[in-house]
Amino acid sequence: MNIIEVKNVSFAYNEEKQGLKDVNFSIDKGEWIAILGHNGSGKSTLAKSLVGLLEPQQGEIYIDSVKLTEETAFNLRKKVGIVFQNPDNQFVGVTVKDDIAFGMENLCVPRETMLERIDFFAEKVGMKEYLDKQPSNLSGGQKQRVAIAGILAMRSDILIFDEATSMLDPYTKNDLISYMKLLNKEGFTVIMITHDVNEAILADRIMIMNHGTISAFDKTETILKQKELFIKSHLELPMALKIANEVKNNKIRNSLWEYVLKM
Amino acid sequence: MGIRFKNVTHEYPSYSKKTYKAIQGINLNIGTDDEYIALIGHTGSGKSTLAKHMNALIFPTLGEVEIFGNNIKSKRDKNINYNNIRKRVGLVFQFPEYQLFEETVEKDIMFGPMNFKKSEEEAKKLALEAIHLVGLDETYLKRNPFNLSGGEKKRVSIAGILAIDPEILVLDEPTSGLDPEGKQTLMDLFSDIHKKTGKSIIIITHDMDLVYRYFKRVVVMKDGRISFDGTPDELFKSDIIEENHLDLPNTIKVLSYIKDKFNLDINIYQKIAEEAVQEINRVMEYE
Repeated sequence: MNIIEVKNVSFAYNEEKQGLKDVNFSIDKGEWIAILGHNGSGKSTLAKSLVGLLEPQQGEIYIDSVKLTEETAFNLRKKVGIVFQNPDNQFVGVTVKDDIAFGMENLCVPRETMLERIDFFAEKVGMKEYLDKQPSNLSGGQKQRVAIAGILAMRSDILIFDEATSMLDPYTKNDLISYMKLLNKEGFTVIMITHDVNEAILADRIMIMNHGTISAFDKTETILKQKELFIKSHLELPMALKIANEVKNNKIRNSLWEYVLKM
Repeated sequence: MGIRFKNVTHEYPSYSKKTYKAIQGINLNIGTDDEYIALIGHTGSGKSTLAKHMNALIFPTLGEVEIFGNNIKSKRDKNINYNNIRKRVGLVFQFPEYQLFEETVEKDIMFGPMNFKKSEEEAKKLALEAIHLVGLDETYLKRNPFNLSGGEKKRVSIAGILAIDPEILVLDEPTSGLDPEGKQTLMDLFSDIHKKTGKSIIIITHDMDLVYRYFKRVVVMKDGRISFDGTPDELFKSDIIEENHLDLPNTIKVLSYIKDKFNLDINIYQKIAEEAVQEINRVMEYE
């Protein structure tokens, strides 16, 4: 079943800056999608449109079969949680605890449940010992972790990460990704906007954006086989495939593919 | 002598009564030239706090930081010209693009030089040079920074610091959020500046591929202390990686996989894909 459907969506910030040009696609419930694209390709514009922060000048967006409009946006936002690249843009609380609570307060989550979830998700992102600290004194990566905990605590059906792991160290990142995989198995839909191709290959399908349009949207393996598409879209293949594409020995080439696909 | 940390500790206040030590007992020397340092470590290990001491943006709670002969201690010293220190050591924050505020890119880049007493004409010239340095053309100068993409904004804000022409450059995760091409352009730009001018450059990053490929020296932070200071080669061949929850560069990961799977006598310490391919092809010729 489609949980997201985007039909003929266009958005321009102004004459100088086009965001999206006639974008069409749909995403099934429980899918893990990665969106790759150069800077300025329209990825963030798309993400903001999906949560109703930007209103497309043309086209329609359906979330769980309900058309996204000014009237429905408030309720639909409960279904879609988004974490932005710069966590400073979404900090409101005086302490880390308040901050994680904020989204849940808006959803009127009962206090008991809220306190449980704060503890649980702070632990999940490795920030439990910081609950009483001021967000402003945290490092960039720690702020990202708090922002992620806040969104996870809302238990939205759809989770959008807009470059939200860019400042995490590899260890924290891997931890978080394993947890996201669990959520995905439970039926949460995950959309990861990223420049890290090693993160993108975890997806069921990869969307490649280029100058406001979708150049390709297909199964991860199918996308990875299109070397030219990556070059054309100014993107990078995973290291193992860069190597696989150049080594002469077939056995090695095949096992490098295995290495990538089992990641 | 450029920057010298002498037993530096920095504490932040906290709502619970205990203060929290972001860095402690730091001893570190950074030369004025020929340094190309990657500063790495877990999130919250103290990297950004360390960087903010490098141009006296914050003062140590304990110990002192010597910057170009000025001793920075816990209290402001009237005899020290802090403005001059900030001209000589340029610091680019995480998300510098959020500090853009002028109506054109040109004005934004000119802001730094004019703040340091350059004439408008000189500042314009510096802005033109700087925009080219970061790989954008001059048509960008007349554009509104708010209409640029994240990556472009990042480059404009770095151009703003380059226009001040500092002797030491400190950049806090300058490539995070950039696409692979943008990342490479910037990294090539920094090593170019380093090679041409000999300026010391310190970059905070989580990207081990970049650390291995570009840097001469790596400083690893763990829980507010320095846990390693040496070359990337020494680092990636040591146990420090695992002990500090760090990652290996992708070339090493991929080559170790091949080495184990096919039981090959292969040198896994290759910095880029091309070198890895050559090494595999070389070894496979004899198989």
